[in-house]
Amino acid sequence: MLQFLLPGLGVTVSVTLIALCLGGCIGALMAVFRVYGNPVIKGLAASYSVVVRAVPVVVIIFILFFVISAFIDLSPFMSGAIALGFASGAYQTEIFRGAILSIPRGQMTAARGIGMSRAKAIRCIILPQAFRVAIPSLINEVTLVLKDSSLVFVIGVPELMRRAQYASASTMEPLLAFGTAACFYIVLTLTLSKALEAVEKRFAIQF
Amino acid sequence: MKDETMTRPVLRIENLCKSFGTTPVVTDVSFDVHPSEVIVIIGSSGTGKSTLLQCLNLLHLPTSGKIFLEDQEITAPGVNQDRVRRQMGMVFQEFNLFNHLTVLGNVTVGMTRVLGMPVKDAEKKAMNELERVGMADHRHKYPAQLSGGQKQRVGIARALGMSPKVMLFDEPTSALDPELTGEVLAVMQKLAAEGMTMIIVSHEMGFAREAADRVIFMENGRIEEQGPPDRMFTRPESERTRKFLSIITTGKAEPPSGSLGQDTL
Repeated sequence: MLQFLLPGLGVTVSVTLIALCLGGCIGALMAVFRVYGNPVIKGLAASYSVVVRAVPVVVIIFILFFVISAFIDLSPFMSGAIALGFASGAYQTEIFRGAILSIPRGQMTAARGIGMSRAKAIRCIILPQAFRVAIPSLINEVTLVLKDSSLVFVIGVPELMRRAQYASASTMEPLLAFGTAACFYIVLTLTLSKALEAVEKRFAIQF
Repeated sequence: MKDETMTRPVLRIENLCKSFGTTPVVTDVSFDVHPSEVIVIIGSSGTGKSTLLQCLNLLHLPTSGKIFLEDQEITAPGVNQDRVRRQMGMVFQEFNLFNHLTVLGNVTVGMTRVLGMPVKDAEKKAMNELERVGMADHRHKYPAQLSGGQKQRVGIARALGMSPKVMLFDEPTSALDPELTGEVLAVMQKLAAEGMTMIIVSHEMGFAREAADRVIFMENGRIEEQGPPDRMFTRPESERTRKFLSIITTGKAEPPSGSLGQDTL
Protein backbone atom coordinates (compact mmCIF):
# COMPACT_ATOMS: atom_id res chain seq x y z
CA MET A 1 0.00 0.00 0.00
CA LEU A 2 2.75 2.45 0.96
CA GLN A 3 4.54 2.07 -2.36
CA PHE A 4 1.32 3.15 -4.07
CA LEU A 5 0.76 6.21 -1.95
CA LEU A 6 4.24 7.53 -1.13
CA PRO A 7 4.91 9.13 -4.54
CA GLY A 8 1.66 11.07 -4.15
CA LEU A 9 2.87 12.52 -0.90
CA GLY A 10 5.54 14.60 -2.60
CA VAL A 11 3.03 15.90 -5.16
CA THR A 12 0.55 16.87 -2.45
CA VAL A 13 3.23 18.67 -0.47
CA SER A 14 4.57 20.57 -3.50
CA VAL A 15 1.11 21.58 -4.71
CA THR A 16 0.29 22.85 -1.21
CA LEU A 17 3.54 24.77 -0.75
CA ILE A 18 3.37 26.43 -4.18
CA ALA A 19 -0.26 27.38 -3.57
CA LEU A 20 0.51 28.78 -0.11
CA CYS A 21 3.44 30.89 -1.31
CA LEU A 22 1.50 32.21 -4.27
CA GLY A 23 -1.53 32.86 -2.06
CA GLY A 24 0.66 34.58 0.53
CA CYS A 25 2.15 36.97 -2.04
CA ILE A 26 -1.25 37.74 -3.58
CA GLY A 27 -2.85 38.04 -0.14
CA ALA A 28 -0.26 40.44 1.30
CA LEU A 29 -0.35 42.61 -1.82
CA MET A 30 -4.15 42.70 -2.06
CA ALA A 31 -4.44 43.45 1.67
CA VAL A 32 -2.10 46.44 1.30
CA PHE A 33 -4.18 47.57 -1.70
CA ARG A 34 -7.39 47.17 0.29
CA VAL A 35 -6.14 49.19 3.24
CA TYR A 36 -3.89 51.81 1.64
CA GLY A 37 -4.93 51.91 -2.03
CA ASN A 38 -6.80 54.67 -3.81
CA PRO A 39 -10.54 54.00 -4.26
CA VAL A 40 -10.10 52.25 -7.62
CA ILE A 41 -7.37 49.89 -6.41
CA LYS A 42 -9.29 49.29 -3.18
CA GLY A 43 -12.37 48.34 -5.19
CA LEU A 44 -10.46 45.98 -7.48
CA ALA A 45 -8.77 44.21 -4.58
CA ALA A 46 -12.06 43.93 -2.71
CA SER A 47 -13.82 42.45 -5.76
CA TYR A 48 -11.06 39.87 -6.19
CA SER A 49 -11.45 38.76 -2.60
CA VAL A 50 -15.26 38.69 -2.67
CA VAL A 51 -15.64 36.96 -6.04
CA VAL A 52 -12.96 34.32 -5.55
CA ARG A 53 -14.24 33.40 -2.10
CA ALA A 54 -17.74 33.01 -3.54
CA VAL A 55 -16.65 30.48 -6.22
CA PRO A 56 -15.94 26.82 -5.35
CA VAL A 57 -12.27 25.97 -5.65
CA VAL A 58 -13.02 23.16 -8.10
CA VAL A 59 -14.58 25.66 -10.50
CA ILE A 60 -11.40 27.76 -10.39
CA ILE A 61 -9.30 24.65 -11.02
CA PHE A 62 -11.44 23.73 -14.05
CA ILE A 63 -11.36 27.26 -15.45
CA LEU A 64 -7.59 27.39 -15.19
CA PHE A 65 -7.08 23.89 -16.61
CA PHE A 66 -9.61 23.90 -19.45
CA VAL A 67 -9.80 27.58 -20.38
CA ILE A 68 -6.59 29.38 -19.48
CA SER A 69 -4.17 26.54 -20.19
CA ALA A 70 -5.50 26.58 -23.77
CA PHE A 71 -3.61 29.88 -24.15
CA ILE A 72 -0.63 29.32 -21.89
CA ASP A 73 1.13 25.99 -21.70
CA LEU A 74 0.38 24.75 -18.17
CA SER A 75 0.83 21.22 -16.90
CA PRO A 76 -2.04 19.82 -14.82
CA PHE A 77 0.27 20.07 -11.81
CA MET A 78 0.94 23.80 -12.33
CA SER A 79 -2.70 24.54 -13.22
CA GLY A 80 -3.79 22.93 -9.97
CA ALA A 81 -1.17 24.65 -7.83
CA ILE A 82 -1.85 28.08 -9.33
CA ALA A 83 -5.63 27.67 -9.04
CA LEU A 84 -5.29 26.74 -5.37
CA GLY A 85 -2.92 29.67 -4.79
CA PHE A 86 -5.31 32.06 -6.50
CA ALA A 87 -8.16 30.84 -4.28
CA SER A 88 -6.07 30.89 -1.10
CA GLY A 89 -4.91 34.41 -1.97
CA ALA A 90 -8.46 35.66 -1.48
CA TYR A 91 -8.65 34.19 2.02
CA GLN A 92 -5.15 35.39 2.86
CA THR A 93 -6.15 38.88 1.69
CA GLU A 94 -8.73 38.94 4.46
CA ILE A 95 -6.28 37.52 7.02
CA PHE A 96 -3.62 40.13 6.21
CA ARG A 97 -6.16 42.94 5.98
CA GLY A 98 -7.40 42.25 9.49
CA ALA A 99 -3.82 42.01 10.72
CA ILE A 100 -2.82 45.33 9.12
CA LEU A 101 -5.88 47.06 10.58
CA SER A 102 -4.96 45.78 14.05
CA ILE A 103 -1.65 47.69 14.01
CA PRO A 104 -2.08 50.99 15.90
CA ARG A 105 -2.21 54.12 13.73
CA GLY A 106 0.64 55.66 15.68
CA GLN A 107 3.06 53.19 14.10
CA MET A 108 2.45 54.70 10.67
CA THR A 109 2.55 58.26 12.05
CA ALA A 110 5.87 57.60 13.77
CA ALA A 111 7.34 55.98 10.65
CA ARG A 112 6.30 58.98 8.54
CA GLY A 113 7.65 61.22 11.31
CA ILE A 114 11.20 59.96 10.78
CA GLY A 115 10.87 60.59 7.06
CA MET A 116 9.82 57.20 5.71
CA SER A 117 7.67 57.20 2.60
CA ARG A 118 4.33 55.45 2.89
CA ALA A 119 5.55 52.47 0.90
CA LYS A 120 8.65 52.11 3.05
CA ALA A 121 6.64 52.47 6.26
CA ILE A 122 4.31 49.69 5.09
CA ARG A 123 7.25 47.47 4.17
CA CYS A 124 9.53 48.08 7.17
CA ILE A 125 7.11 48.86 10.00
CA ILE A 126 3.53 47.76 9.28
CA LEU A 127 3.93 44.43 7.44
CA PRO A 128 6.51 42.88 9.80
CA GLN A 129 4.09 43.50 12.68
CA ALA A 130 1.01 42.47 10.70
CA PHE A 131 2.71 39.21 9.71
CA ARG A 132 3.17 38.29 13.37
CA VAL A 133 -0.47 39.02 14.10
CA ALA A 134 -1.54 36.95 11.08
CA ILE A 135 0.35 33.74 11.88
CA PRO A 136 -2.36 32.02 13.97
CA SER A 137 -4.92 32.55 11.20
CA LEU A 138 -2.36 31.51 8.59
CA ILE A 139 -1.89 28.19 10.39
CA ASN A 140 -5.58 27.56 9.86
CA GLU A 141 -5.32 28.55 6.20
CA VAL A 142 -2.39 26.16 5.72
CA THR A 143 -4.46 23.19 6.88
CA LEU A 144 -7.33 24.23 4.60
CA VAL A 145 -5.11 24.51 1.54
CA LEU A 146 -3.47 21.18 2.33
CA LYS A 147 -6.84 19.48 2.36
CA ASP A 148 -8.06 21.42 -0.71
CA SER A 149 -5.03 20.12 -2.60
CA SER A 150 -6.90 16.80 -2.87
CA LEU A 151 -9.23 18.61 -5.31
CA VAL A 152 -6.58 18.78 -8.03
CA PHE A 153 -7.11 15.05 -8.56
CA VAL A 154 -10.08 16.05 -10.76
CA ILE A 155 -7.63 17.20 -13.45
CA GLY A 156 -5.50 14.07 -13.15
CA VAL A 157 -2.62 15.28 -10.97
CA PRO A 158 -1.22 12.14 -9.34
CA GLU A 159 -1.33 13.38 -5.77
CA LEU A 160 -2.20 11.49 -2.61
CA MET A 161 -5.94 11.22 -3.25
CA ARG A 162 -5.56 10.09 -6.86
CA ARG A 163 -3.04 7.46 -5.78
CA ALA A 164 -5.35 6.26 -3.03
CA GLN A 165 -8.10 5.80 -5.58
CA TYR A 166 -5.81 3.73 -7.85
CA ALA A 167 -4.74 1.66 -4.88
CA SER A 168 -8.31 1.11 -3.78
CA ALA A 169 -9.32 -0.02 -7.26
CA SER A 170 -6.39 -2.36 -7.82
CA THR A 171 -6.22 -3.95 -4.35
CA MET A 172 -9.97 -3.95 -3.70
CA GLU A 173 -9.25 -2.62 -0.22
CA PRO A 174 -10.83 0.86 -0.09
CA LEU A 175 -10.67 1.11 3.69
CA LEU A 176 -6.95 0.43 3.79
CA ALA A 177 -6.28 2.75 0.83
CA PHE A 178 -8.30 5.73 1.97
CA GLY A 179 -7.49 5.11 5.63
CA THR A 180 -3.78 5.32 4.83
CA ALA A 181 -4.39 8.49 2.81
CA ALA A 182 -6.27 9.99 5.76
CA CYS A 183 -3.35 9.17 8.06
CA PHE A 184 -0.96 10.90 5.66
CA TYR A 185 -3.14 14.03 5.67
CA ILE A 186 -3.25 14.05 9.45
CA VAL A 187 0.53 13.73 9.72
CA LEU A 188 1.08 16.44 7.08
CA THR A 189 -1.36 18.85 8.70
CA LEU A 190 0.19 18.43 12.12
CA THR A 191 3.72 18.81 10.75
CA LEU A 192 2.94 21.99 8.83
CA SER A 193 1.07 23.56 11.78
CA LYS A 194 3.91 22.71 14.14
CA ALA A 195 6.40 24.26 11.73
CA LEU A 196 4.38 27.48 11.59
CA GLU A 197 3.94 27.51 15.36
CA ALA A 198 7.73 27.39 15.61
CA VAL A 199 7.90 30.39 13.28
CA GLU A 200 5.32 32.15 15.44
CA LYS A 201 7.42 31.55 18.57
CA ARG A 202 10.62 32.58 16.85
CA PHE A 203 9.23 35.96 15.79
CA ALA A 204 6.96 36.62 18.75
CA ILE A 205 7.35 40.12 20.14
CA GLN A 206 8.76 39.76 23.63
CA PHE A 207 6.84 41.01 26.61
CA MET B 1 15.04 84.51 22.79
CA LYS B 2 18.72 84.17 22.28
CA ASP B 3 20.26 86.56 19.78
CA GLU B 4 17.01 86.99 17.95
CA THR B 5 18.16 89.84 15.82
CA MET B 6 21.47 88.28 14.85
CA THR B 7 20.45 84.89 13.49
CA ARG B 8 18.13 83.81 10.76
CA PRO B 9 15.29 81.60 11.97
CA VAL B 10 15.44 77.81 11.68
CA LEU B 11 11.72 77.76 11.19
CA ARG B 12 9.44 80.56 10.07
CA ILE B 13 5.68 80.14 10.17
CA GLU B 14 3.61 82.64 8.21
CA ASN B 15 -0.18 82.92 8.53
CA LEU B 16 -0.63 79.19 9.00
CA CYS B 17 -4.23 77.95 8.86
CA LYS B 18 -5.52 74.41 9.15
CA SER B 19 -9.13 73.28 8.90
CA PHE B 20 -10.56 69.80 9.01
CA GLY B 21 -13.50 69.98 6.63
CA THR B 22 -15.18 73.25 7.53
CA THR B 23 -13.90 73.28 11.12
CA PRO B 24 -10.98 75.68 11.55
CA VAL B 25 -8.46 74.26 14.02
CA VAL B 26 -5.47 76.54 13.55
CA THR B 27 -6.09 80.13 12.45
CA ASP B 28 -3.53 82.60 11.16
CA VAL B 29 -0.56 81.53 13.27
CA SER B 30 2.78 83.20 12.62
CA PHE B 31 6.04 82.95 14.53
CA ASP B 32 9.76 82.45 14.03
CA VAL B 33 11.90 79.84 15.71
CA HIS B 34 15.54 80.76 16.16
CA PRO B 35 18.49 78.40 16.49
CA SER B 36 18.73 76.87 19.98
CA GLU B 37 15.46 78.44 20.99
CA VAL B 38 13.14 76.46 23.24
CA ILE B 39 9.48 77.30 22.71
CA VAL B 40 6.75 75.85 24.89
CA ILE B 41 3.21 76.04 23.53
CA ILE B 42 0.52 76.00 26.20
CA GLY B 43 -3.25 76.27 26.13
CA SER B 44 -6.38 74.30 26.95
CA SER B 45 -7.19 71.02 25.25
CA GLY B 46 -8.61 71.30 21.76
CA THR B 47 -7.05 74.65 20.94
CA GLY B 48 -5.05 73.31 18.02
CA LYS B 49 -1.64 72.98 19.70
CA SER B 50 -0.99 69.42 18.55
CA THR B 51 -2.43 70.09 15.10
CA LEU B 52 -0.13 73.09 14.77
CA LEU B 53 2.85 70.92 15.72
CA GLN B 54 1.88 68.20 13.24
CA CYS B 55 1.53 70.86 10.54
CA LEU B 56 5.11 71.99 11.13
CA ASN B 57 6.57 68.70 9.88
CA LEU B 58 3.77 68.22 7.36
CA LEU B 59 2.16 65.24 9.08
CA HIS B 60 -0.91 67.42 8.53
CA LEU B 61 -0.82 69.57 5.42
CA PRO B 62 -1.69 73.20 6.20
CA THR B 63 -4.82 74.54 4.53
CA SER B 64 -3.06 77.83 3.85
CA GLY B 65 -0.02 79.78 4.94
CA LYS B 66 3.68 79.16 4.56
CA ILE B 67 6.36 77.36 6.53
CA PHE B 68 10.06 77.89 5.90
CA LEU B 69 12.70 75.48 7.15
CA GLU B 70 15.86 77.56 7.07
CA ASP B 71 15.53 79.12 3.61
CA GLN B 72 13.37 76.52 1.95
CA GLU B 73 9.61 76.92 1.77
CA ILE B 74 8.45 73.43 2.73
CA THR B 75 4.80 74.20 2.01
CA ALA B 76 5.60 74.96 -1.64
CA PRO B 77 4.13 72.52 -4.17
CA GLY B 78 6.53 69.81 -5.31
CA VAL B 79 8.55 69.75 -2.09
CA ASN B 80 9.55 66.23 -1.03
CA GLN B 81 7.70 65.94 2.27
CA ASP B 82 9.58 62.82 3.38
CA ARG B 83 12.82 64.76 3.02
CA VAL B 84 11.38 67.58 5.15
CA ARG B 85 10.31 65.18 7.92
CA ARG B 86 13.79 63.65 8.09
CA GLN B 87 15.08 67.03 9.23
CA MET B 88 12.61 67.43 12.08
CA GLY B 89 12.41 65.05 14.98
CA MET B 90 9.01 64.32 16.44
CA VAL B 91 8.21 62.88 19.85
CA PHE B 92 4.69 61.64 20.42
CA GLN B 93 2.41 61.62 23.44
CA GLU B 94 1.80 57.87 22.97
CA PHE B 95 5.53 57.16 22.29
CA ASN B 96 4.69 55.12 19.15
CA LEU B 97 7.84 53.02 19.40
CA PHE B 98 8.04 50.33 16.74
CA ASN B 99 6.85 47.31 18.70
CA HIS B 100 8.67 44.65 16.68
CA LEU B 101 12.08 46.28 17.01
CA THR B 102 14.44 46.40 19.97
CA VAL B 103 15.38 49.71 21.56
CA LEU B 104 18.48 49.77 19.37
CA GLY B 105 16.44 48.80 16.30
CA ASN B 106 14.01 51.63 16.95
CA VAL B 107 16.81 54.16 16.86
CA THR B 108 18.73 52.67 13.91
CA VAL B 109 15.81 51.92 11.57
CA GLY B 110 15.49 55.53 10.43
CA MET B 111 19.22 55.92 9.91
CA THR B 112 19.57 52.72 7.88
CA ARG B 113 16.27 52.69 5.99
CA VAL B 114 15.79 56.42 5.46
CA LEU B 115 19.26 57.96 5.51
CA GLY B 116 20.94 54.87 4.03
CA MET B 117 23.65 54.73 6.69
CA PRO B 118 25.67 51.50 7.00
CA VAL B 119 24.41 49.38 9.93
CA LYS B 120 27.69 49.69 11.88
CA ASP B 121 27.70 53.49 11.73
CA ALA B 122 24.00 53.66 12.55
CA GLU B 123 24.46 51.46 15.62
CA LYS B 124 27.36 53.58 16.79
CA LYS B 125 25.36 56.77 16.46
CA ALA B 126 22.31 55.10 18.02
CA MET B 127 24.37 54.10 21.04
CA ASN B 128 25.49 57.71 21.43
CA GLU B 129 21.88 58.91 21.36
CA LEU B 130 20.78 56.18 23.78
CA GLU B 131 23.64 57.22 26.06
CA ARG B 132 22.33 60.78 25.89
CA VAL B 133 18.88 59.74 27.13
CA GLY B 134 20.25 57.20 29.59
CA MET B 135 18.85 54.13 27.83
CA ALA B 136 22.03 52.48 26.49
CA ASP B 137 21.78 49.60 28.99
CA HIS B 138 18.33 48.69 27.70
CA ARG B 139 19.32 48.48 24.03
CA HIS B 140 18.31 44.83 23.57
CA LYS B 141 14.89 45.17 25.18
CA TYR B 142 11.61 45.46 23.30
CA PRO B 143 9.22 48.40 23.85
CA ALA B 144 6.76 46.18 25.73
CA GLN B 145 9.46 45.53 28.34
CA LEU B 146 9.94 49.23 29.14
CA SER B 147 8.17 51.67 31.45
CA GLY B 148 6.44 54.68 29.94
CA GLY B 149 9.24 57.05 30.85
CA GLN B 150 11.81 54.69 29.34
CA LYS B 151 9.74 54.37 26.15
CA GLN B 152 9.56 58.12 25.80
CA ARG B 153 13.31 58.48 26.27
CA VAL B 154 13.81 55.94 23.48
CA GLY B 155 11.32 57.95 21.42
CA ILE B 156 13.53 60.99 21.94
CA ALA B 157 16.67 59.03 21.00
CA ARG B 158 14.94 57.77 17.84
CA ALA B 159 14.21 61.35 16.80
CA LEU B 160 17.73 62.54 17.72
CA GLY B 161 19.24 59.77 15.59
CA MET B 162 18.12 61.55 12.48
CA SER B 163 20.19 64.62 13.50
CA PRO B 164 17.16 66.91 13.24
CA LYS B 165 17.35 70.67 12.87
CA VAL B 166 14.34 71.06 15.15
CA MET B 167 12.77 68.74 17.71
CA LEU B 168 8.98 68.76 18.04
CA PHE B 169 7.47 67.37 21.24
CA ASP B 170 3.75 66.64 21.26
CA GLU B 171 2.73 66.47 24.95
CA PRO B 172 5.67 64.15 25.69
CA THR B 173 4.73 63.55 29.33
CA SER B 174 0.92 63.55 29.17
CA ALA B 175 0.65 59.75 28.99
CA LEU B 176 3.02 59.23 31.92
CA ASP B 177 2.48 58.67 35.62
CA PRO B 178 3.58 61.72 37.59
CA GLU B 179 6.62 59.91 38.99
CA LEU B 180 7.82 59.10 35.47
CA THR B 181 7.51 62.57 33.95
CA GLY B 182 10.63 63.75 35.78
CA GLU B 183 13.04 61.48 33.91
CA VAL B 184 11.66 62.61 30.54
CA LEU B 185 11.68 66.30 31.45
CA ALA B 186 15.28 65.95 32.69
CA VAL B 187 16.33 64.59 29.30
CA MET B 188 14.53 67.43 27.54
CA GLN B 189 16.14 69.99 29.81
CA LYS B 190 19.54 68.50 29.01
CA LEU B 191 18.85 68.77 25.27
CA ALA B 192 17.80 72.37 25.69
CA ALA B 193 21.01 73.12 27.57
CA GLU B 194 22.98 71.47 24.75
CA GLY B 195 21.50 73.97 22.31
CA MET B 196 18.86 71.87 20.57
CA THR B 197 16.09 73.89 18.93
CA MET B 198 12.85 72.64 20.42
CA ILE B 199 9.13 73.29 20.13
CA ILE B 200 7.17 71.63 22.90
CA VAL B 201 3.45 71.32 23.42
CA SER B 202 3.10 70.72 27.13
CA HIS B 203 1.06 71.16 30.24
CA GLU B 204 4.18 71.08 32.42
CA MET B 205 4.24 74.68 33.60
CA GLY B 206 7.25 74.13 35.84
CA PHE B 207 9.22 72.91 32.85
CA ALA B 208 8.01 75.81 30.71
CA ARG B 209 9.07 78.27 33.36
CA GLU B 210 12.53 76.75 33.73
CA ALA B 211 13.53 75.62 30.26
CA ALA B 212 11.60 77.80 27.81
CA ASP B 213 13.02 80.84 26.09
CA ARG B 214 9.54 81.73 24.96
CA VAL B 215 6.06 80.62 25.92
CA ILE B 216 3.23 80.74 23.40
CA PHE B 217 -0.32 80.66 24.74
CA MET B 218 -2.85 79.40 22.21
CA GLU B 219 -6.59 79.71 22.38
CA ASN B 220 -9.19 78.76 19.74
CA GLY B 221 -6.49 78.01 17.18
CA ARG B 222 -4.83 81.42 17.51
CA ILE B 223 -1.80 82.71 19.34
CA GLU B 224 -3.36 84.69 22.18
CA GLU B 225 -0.10 85.85 23.71
CA GLN B 226 3.59 85.01 23.67
CA GLY B 227 6.66 86.11 25.54
CA PRO B 228 9.47 85.05 27.87
CA PRO B 229 8.23 82.72 30.62
CA ASP B 230 8.93 85.01 33.59
CA ARG B 231 6.72 87.70 32.11
CA MET B 232 4.07 85.26 30.84
CA PHE B 233 3.75 83.60 34.21
CA THR B 234 3.91 86.70 36.39
CA ARG B 235 2.40 89.51 34.32
CA PRO B 236 0.38 88.11 31.42
CA GLU B 237 -1.12 90.87 29.32
CA SER B 238 -4.16 88.98 28.16
CA GLU B 239 -7.06 88.26 30.46
CA ARG B 240 -7.48 84.78 28.91
CA THR B 241 -3.84 83.92 29.55
CA ARG B 242 -4.20 85.02 33.14
CA LYS B 243 -7.31 82.88 33.61
CA PHE B 244 -5.71 79.83 32.03
CA LEU B 245 -2.58 80.12 34.12
CA SER B 246 -4.49 80.56 37.34
CA ILE B 247 -6.47 77.40 36.61
CA ILE B 248 -3.35 75.46 35.73
CA THR B 249 -1.20 76.65 38.62
CA THR B 250 -3.78 76.53 41.37
CA GLY B 251 -5.39 73.40 39.98
CA LYS B 252 -8.90 74.80 40.26
CA ALA B 253 -11.13 76.82 38.06
CA GLU B 254 -12.33 80.24 39.09
CA PRO B 255 -15.95 79.96 40.08
CA PRO B 256 -18.26 80.97 37.29
CA SER B 257 -19.97 84.29 37.87
CA GLY B 258 -22.98 83.93 40.12
CA SER B 259 -21.27 80.90 41.54
CA LEU B 260 -22.87 78.18 43.54
CA GLY B 261 -22.55 78.87 47.21
CA GLN B 262 -21.25 76.09 49.39
CA ASP B 263 -24.65 75.68 50.95
CA THR B 264 -26.03 74.39 47.63
CA LEU B 265 -23.96 71.27 48.14
